[in-house]
Amino acid sequence: MELTFLFSQFMSGLTYGLMLFLVASGLSLIFGVMNILNFAHATFWLIGAYICFTFWSLMEAHQFALWVSIPLAALATAAFGWVCEVVLIKRIYKRELHEQLLITYAMALILGDLIKIIWGPTDRLIVRPSIIQKPIHLFGAPIDSYFIFVILIGFAVAIGLWWFLKYTKYGHIVKAAVFSREMVGALGIPIPKIYTWVFTLGIFIAGLAGGVQSAIGSVTLGMDTNIIIQAFCVVVIGGFGSLMGTLVGSLIVGEVFSFAILYWPDGAMVLIFVITAAILIVRPWGLFGTPLRA
Amino acid sequence: MDKKNSFLKRFRLHAGLFLVALILPLVVTEFWVHVFTEILILGLFASAFNLIFGYMGQLSFGQAAYYGIGAYTTGLLMVKLQWPLFVCLPASMITAGIGALILGYFCVKLRGIYFAILTMAFGQFVFFIIFQWYSFTGGDNGLQGINPPVWLFKANAYYYFSLAVVTIGMILLYIITESPFGYTMKAIRDNTERTEFIGINVQRYMLINFVISGMFCGLAGALWGPFNRSVAPDLCSWQNSGHPVFMAVMGGPHHFLGPMIGSVIFTFLNAFVTGFTEYWPLVSGLVMIIVVLLMPGGLFGIIKSKGYFSPRNVGDVKNE
Repeated sequence: MELTFLFSQFMSGLTYGLMLFLVASGLSLIFGVMNILNFAHATFWLIGAYICFTFWSLMEAHQFALWVSIPLAALATAAFGWVCEVVLIKRIYKRELHEQLLITYAMALILGDLIKIIWGPTDRLIVRPSIIQKPIHLFGAPIDSYFIFVILIGFAVAIGLWWFLKYTKYGHIVKAAVFSREMVGALGIPIPKIYTWVFTLGIFIAGLAGGVQSAIGSVTLGMDTNIIIQAFCVVVIGGFGSLMGTLVGSLIVGEVFSFAILYWPDGAMVLIFVITAAILIVRPWGLFGTPLRA
Repeated sequence: MDKKNSFLKRFRLHAGLFLVALILPLVVTEFWVHVFTEILILGLFASAFNLIFGYMGQLSFGQAAYYGIGAYTTGLLMVKLQWPLFVCLPASMITAGIGALILGYFCVKLRGIYFAILTMAFGQFVFFIIFQWYSFTGGDNGLQGINPPVWLFKANAYYYFSLAVVTIGMILLYIITESPFGYTMKAIRDNTERTEFIGINVQRYMLINFVISGMFCGLAGALWGPFNRSVAPDLCSWQNSGHPVFMAVMGGPHHFLGPMIGSVIFTFLNAFVTGFTEYWPLVSGLVMIIVVLLMPGGLFGIIKSKGYFSPRNVGDVKNE
């Protein structure tokens, strides 16, 4: 097979992987800090995509429509996530694992139907601005120019999150809360407030990812149910609560999927679950996680 | 209290429900007979799931895989080889049990959230195999024409057949949970470390339990195919794995009949709600949230806390 072809396949794997990262990083952050595995996370992502479509269709005539719609969608989704946290998630911090799973699972069901009620069952398609309609040639391979944008956003969020956790005061508090929430609470830091903002931040990233996703292909009902399982896989491969792990995990899943679909299309999805299971069995805490939290 | 009396007292709920189940189809329309059949099948599914959840203390989010393996075994045997239904049921239990043995071997090494995710990943693994393997399973078209034998064609007949199979299944499950093996499972649930210290091979017990649960999930699945006349890969999806979790939580995982009662509520609600709106997920989600937030311990938890009658609980340490 030609090298340029492999390169373009690699780039589409990278795009897919970074899209997964955008979904999984919020999931991992929320689990790492709050210990809640949010089943509804990908549904927020889908809501972000639909909101982005709505903003875009309001400004359809303008070239900048998409660029304005994506941040607006992220903000709107985050606001909605904040409401959900205050109304519902707040009540289940201290509940058992299965109750938290069931509540967020129920949220995914409800939000999925709300999407159906608000936006209807038809697929939505965003027409990209002309500036990114033509492919870019890299090393002789034609690359969808929107993919470059997705890759940039993915890495920007990764770096932004890394900077936030490493260099800001709030980032330090969040990291401390991962290790010992009692101690952080004892220092007079309002844990519930931290939780609310961590959840909102996670949903913000999911909304951003949804906005970015909305121009990749058509926005369809039920897209969330597939990606949430893959996001779980990513988080398990990388290790819960580890940013680096989530990034590596997403890139592994993205590239494996992208190349497997070439050589063994039927087995591509199965392969991802095999990898996840293998990692879980050998290292339940993931590639970059620590056994302490297992 | 003499023995007979205490026996009656102990099983009055079970016997009462069985009597109701015997009489009900004679007084309702065919539609509701279908609903009752569904209740029985899903109730067996949820009860089998509860072996892992209520008795072993681990949350499996992938039991639909074994349900689906059972359903597909019966479906394939009946459509492709024309095997009689009576042979298909035990065959389904065996294939589902083998599936649970292979996948469970890995799952029982993990606990808590990791157990939940690995079972879910394996569930999706089975789902995608069935979904992609067109030549064998029919892919997303599913399998059609899984007709039960002629004498089971009528709704009532299939209902009584399901009732018989499910009752036998439930009795077997009850015997298992009340056996030394069942009590070992409860010990593992309540304190895994201590159980290990007294010389019990926890992983092996968990694996055996996983296999038994898988077998009975397979039996429930095997009843589903001929009832519905078809099977589809959706039976194995992770959404379907969520149903028994919900039923067990709603009915009460700490009572043997809890999941069955959960199935009654869930299926009734489903039949009722889908009658006038397509938004069943929305309604079931709302019910789920209300149940989890307001009814810890499920329906049986509430009954117990009000002291209407005291069903034998399955060994919640706090209550004994």
